Amino acid sequence: MQRKIITLALALLTVVFSSTAVSAAEVDLLNKIGHKIEQHAVIRAEFTQTKQMQALKRPLITTGKLTYSRSYGVLWQILQPYNISYVLGEDKIIEIDANGLRKERSFRDVPGLAQVGRVFRAILGANVSALNTYFEVTAQGDTDKWKLALIPRQQQLLKSLSLIELSGGQFVETIIITEASGDTATLRFRKTLGATDLIDTELQLFSTPTASLKTTP
Amino acid sequence: MNAVKIRAYLWLVLALGVAGICTMQFYNKFPLQTNLLLLLPPTERNPVAEYAVQKLADIAGNRAVFLIGHPSSEPATIAAKAFSTSLGEHQVFRKIIADIPAVDPKQWTEVYLQHQFNLLADADRSLLMNGNVNLENRLQQKLYAPFQFGLTLSPADDPFGFTDAWIASLPLKNLKLEPENGMLVTHSVEQWGAGNDKTGTNKTDITWVFVSAELTGSAYDNQVQQQVIDAVRVAETKIKQHYPATEVLRTGTVFYAETARANAEREVDLIGAGSLVGMLALLYLVFRSIRPLALGLLSVGFGISAALAATVWFYGEIHLITLVFGASLIGEAIDYAIQYFAAHLGAGDTWEPESGLRRIAPGLTVALSTSLLGYSALTLAPFPALSQIGLFAVVGLGSAWLTVFLLLPTFLVKPNSRDPELAVAGPKFLLNWWQAHITKRACYVIAAFILVVSIPGWLQLHADDDVHLLITRPPLLASQESKIRELSGIGNSSQFFLVEGKTADEVLVNEEKLTARLAALAEQGKISSYQGISSFVPSIATQQKNRELWSAHVFSDVGLLNAMFESAGLRDEVIKNQIDTFKASEGSILSIEDWLKSPISASTRNLWLGQTHHGFAALGLPQGINDVDSLRDIAADLKGITFVDKAGSISELLKNYREWGSLWILGLIALVYGVLFVRYRGLQAFVIMTPTLLAISLTFGVFGYLHIPLSLFNIMALMLVLGVGVNYSIFLREGGVHAAASLAGVFLSAGTTLLSFGLLAFSSMQALSSFGLTLLIGVGIAVLVAPMVLTFESKHA
Repeated sequence: MQRKIITLALALLTVVFSSTAVSAAEVDLLNKIGHKIEQHAVIRAEFTQTKQMQALKRPLITTGKLTYSRSYGVLWQILQPYNISYVLGEDKIIEIDANGLRKERSFRDVPGLAQVGRVFRAILGANVSALNTYFEVTAQGDTDKWKLALIPRQQQLLKSLSLIELSGGQFVETIIITEASGDTATLRFRKTLGATDLIDTELQLFSTPTASLKTTP
Repeated sequence: MNAVKIRAYLWLVLALGVAGICTMQFYNKFPLQTNLLLLLPPTERNPVAEYAVQKLADIAGNRAVFLIGHPSSEPATIAAKAFSTSLGEHQVFRKIIADIPAVDPKQWTEVYLQHQFNLLADADRSLLMNGNVNLENRLQQKLYAPFQFGLTLSPADDPFGFTDAWIASLPLKNLKLEPENGMLVTHSVEQWGAGNDKTGTNKTDITWVFVSAELTGSAYDNQVQQQVIDAVRVAETKIKQHYPATEVLRTGTVFYAETARANAEREVDLIGAGSLVGMLALLYLVFRSIRPLALGLLSVGFGISAALAATVWFYGEIHLITLVFGASLIGEAIDYAIQYFAAHLGAGDTWEPESGLRRIAPGLTVALSTSLLGYSALTLAPFPALSQIGLFAVVGLGSAWLTVFLLLPTFLVKPNSRDPELAVAGPKFLLNWWQAHITKRACYVIAAFILVVSIPGWLQLHADDDVHLLITRPPLLASQESKIRELSGIGNSSQFFLVEGKTADEVLVNEEKLTARLAALAEQGKISSYQGISSFVPSIATQQKNRELWSAHVFSDVGLLNAMFESAGLRDEVIKNQIDTFKASEGSILSIEDWLKSPISASTRNLWLGQTHHGFAALGLPQGINDVDSLRDIAADLKGITFVDKAGSISELLKNYREWGSLWILGLIALVYGVLFVRYRGLQAFVIMTPTLLAISLTFGVFGYLHIPLSLFNIMALMLVLGVGVNYSIFLREGGVHAAASLAGVFLSAGTTLLSFGLLAFSSMQALSSFGLTLLIGVGIAVLVAPMVLTFESKHA
């Protein structure tokens, strides 16, 4: 569900939060975290996702790469156990399989997606009130080591998502998502680096290069 | 007591009777009908289609829809909540929907989970049929996918995501609204600050919150309308105090009905007052006496009251359109009295009431007959409102005419004090001039000239049969409505498919065939989407076929399946449960009732119409229609499918009757000629008709030159031009020795008639305004050429 995208967006950027529900110290902390992350046009990281599901005997582990671009959106590339990539763009989500085959879903077609996209854009535009619309936010720690807890404000979202916990220092390091069913997903980021530009292969995945893609099988 | 007195008393009794009936009918209430839809006749051959149209109109009609917009999302939400709370304080609203209840995804998906092995999305069905499904990949994707959209089941319930795909394929979402903070919200990017910041040129993201309110009463009820308008105004003022940048968009039948009523009431006042004042002024100008004024008022008043009483007695109510038209009837109803006054004036000292009446009686009666013929033609029209207008006019004119016979002789006994020569000096001069200069030859030239001038105009005539003739859409409301449609995706419900079958399952079977064709149209971009019941509940045959596919391609090799689940790490009980559920569900079928009971059908339940006289029926709603003809075409050869296009049907009907109307006019000409023939015989009857025929011909020409499109309503008005225009020729022909006084009377009659119908031309309802305009032009020309009858008569006399 859309919560994962929200989380992702949060993970990459964090936010300049401003909220009446948050104490002055917290606001200050949130602002600082936001500014710190905001200075990078591009952020790259490696991730490991561990899913604990009741239907499964053992946890599912996924690893891959993640690229955030302030102007293009988010590229989520799973490398293990199989190869698949997702691009979260301005108005659509593109799924690219191991063969390079692209499947696009525009926000208009998928219920809930536009909402996510909007949170996303709100974050990009440093629209401080936006995230607060969706979550009850509490912050702890200092700019070198901080922790955030997000609880959905919407009853509807609470039916499936209980809590999102973020922690980090210079960048986001860990995200733990707890679903209402008890299933959890833990994301750990490593080798996070800020950069100024995307490289060509990334650009190709982001922008919809229809011509070049049609040549791929 | 002499006969004159008895007649006057008879009138008094009648007048008291009418007054009594009116008092009873209008005591404490005014049975005014403002529902413009009632103007529209049934158009569909299939009664179920008519019922469906009605049902959709009722659903839409009892609802008012608002979008509360603000540049920031939080104020927008708070304002929308305050707005709905404020509306809720008024009893006129039954149910206000602003917050959306949180739904439990489990409850929503339960009905489909129970029948999951009978269901497959179209794409999955063809994949399975071609044997192209890699189950292992699907299982992996279900487990590893970082993103899932919309309602999804747990991997334990739907390890391959087939049921997820089915749920995602449901055409649930026909609106662009999204839940946000527990409210339905949509966004637009636009320039803001119409209210307070006109300098802002930057476009901002606007949050629009959806609020819907159900009315407790009919949208056409005067009190309901007033309460709704007040409640909305109060609510809007309240939220604007706190959030001045808020904008409130509204739409709903109630707002249109209220505007239509307000317009009609204003028009009744304007036309009624204008006609009355103009009439009185003209009467005074010619007769210089109060008595004709008072008697004229009595005659008209009695006519209109009797017409009101008869209409309400016959129909149980009066439509506001009839009332607007009725106000313009004043100018015509006065004509009979005017002829009597003119005779009185013309007679001077030689006036004697009885003989005066005897002299004008034949002319008045013939004139009444032709008018009644014209209005009776209206009662044949297929539009309920036009027949009502016909009845109103027949009774009104008949009563006004009766007043002249019963009442006027009693009160107009003394000869007119004004010098008849002086009073009619103007008309006399005109008459002399006409008789001196306009020879028969000149008349032929004039007639030929009018015809020659008309013909190029005829060639430029074009028609307009659009339904907007009947439905007035105030620009402000119309623009708000189209903005709401654009922002929220709320569709137009006048075009839809009616799906029928002998059994509920036959409806589904028929609908699946339609859905398949519509999918192709959607791909071509001819429609944007489609909502049909078989997308929620497949037919029994399709469900069985789906189950066969599950059985053949998913559960065919249980050993392989076990191994696959095992290696993916699924728990043993999950694996066992899948296989057991599949076996247990053998033979079960998802029924329409199951679906109706589930919360997932909440927003789409209206598609099912249930049992009808013929069997069962459902609606199919296409959205974003770009090509109406293609929809009609694909439904043409499908069994049990009717494409219903109410607006289109009405336009079609208007067109048919407009074309037939041209034939009616010919028939009516023959009838009027028949009436005239009884009194005037062959050639003279034709002479009397000629000015009106010329007027009709030139009216068509004028419409052509001015590019005014023709509609049924122009044709209907021309029938009246025929009925009314002939009157002037009759009055002139009957004038005899008092020709100048008759001419004065004719001008006076024409003046009042033109004033009334001229005012009608300003009506906001296009049907009425083109009706008035046609009468204005037609009657105007008829009066100008009416003196022709004098030329032909003078030699004869």
